Amino acid sequence: MTHEHMLSEDQRDALQEIANIGMGLAGARLATLLGEFIQLSIPSITPVRVEDLPAVLGKFVGDQEFVTVVRQAFTCDVRGEALVLLGDDAIPELWELMGYDPASDTLDAASEQEVLIDLSNLITGACLSCMFEQLGRSLTFSPPTLMGRRVSLTQLLRPEAMAWDLSLLVEVKFSIENHTFCAHLVMFTGEDSLKTLKMALDELLECM
Amino acid sequence: MALPVLVVDDSALARKILINSLPAGWDVTITQASNGRDALVQYRAGRASVMFLDLTMPDMTGYQVLEELQHEGLDTFVIVVSADAQQGAVERVKKLGAVAFIQKPVTPEKLLPVLKEYGFDA
Repeated sequence: MTHEHMLSEDQRDALQEIANIGMGLAGARLATLLGEFIQLSIPSITPVRVEDLPAVLGKFVGDQEFVTVVRQAFTCDVRGEALVLLGDDAIPELWELMGYDPASDTLDAASEQEVLIDLSNLITGACLSCMFEQLGRSLTFSPPTLMGRRVSLTQLLRPEAMAWDLSLLVEVKFSIENHTFCAHLVMFTGEDSLKTLKMALDELLECM
Repeated sequence: MALPVLVVDDSALARKILINSLPAGWDVTITQASNGRDALVQYRAGRASVMFLDLTMPDMTGYQVLEELQHEGLDTFVIVVSADAQQGAVERVKKLGAVAFIQKPVTPEKLLPVLKEYGFDA
């Protein structure tokens, strides 16, 4: 990885802090939706090669074999992708938290998909909009799509199908005390957008 | 004598924003800590009549700092400064002895009324 792709310590710190604030807002929205207190994590910021993405994302979900992934692209002068990852063990509990009784209510595939997409849209929109607002930018999102339901990350994120070689990955985690439910929001940008993002972070740092 | 104020946050940017938001004429001596353990060290050294405390920090969270402060008699005004926007978080920290909760991003407009309420206006 060449030096120009790396964030300086100040840039990394600033990105982590704006992600922290975005996560706080998204967590509050999720808390309202699920009626539970959401525990927030410290956002992690990692430069990754695209071929390493499945392994890196796999670690976030505790190396579960299958994950459910909702994808949304975002654009301003920085372009990127946001994924919401739910491990297999998070799904049944999610239905319960949303008020479906797994024993009597059988959700058809379409309703399941709708719930997953709504949830992802809620946290992605809140977190990323808030992050980029702090950088003086307003984001446009593509409609969310269910990228995979119970799929393996290696299958889903084949390097040859990805637009970039190298990404900067930001991850935030939403979990609930005494529950196994956990949702991960990751966003990544390619090399071209990274330059713009670094400039935006420098502008934020300079005006402080 | 200048009032000892401790600013605890793992983010340098967040500490800077907070310090820049303090009233210009306030006679304070500011100490910074980037983690909960250092915050307790500075508190024990008498550098925290007022403590601005972040919640999500590595190693030792703001919640854990509040618990430890309670064990030690809580001789400081703790103002929690966090990105957490949940009402549940406000309730939790107040139960643990914090006097106020300010939601990030910090601005002078959010900070001043809280300082005034506790007689810390410059």
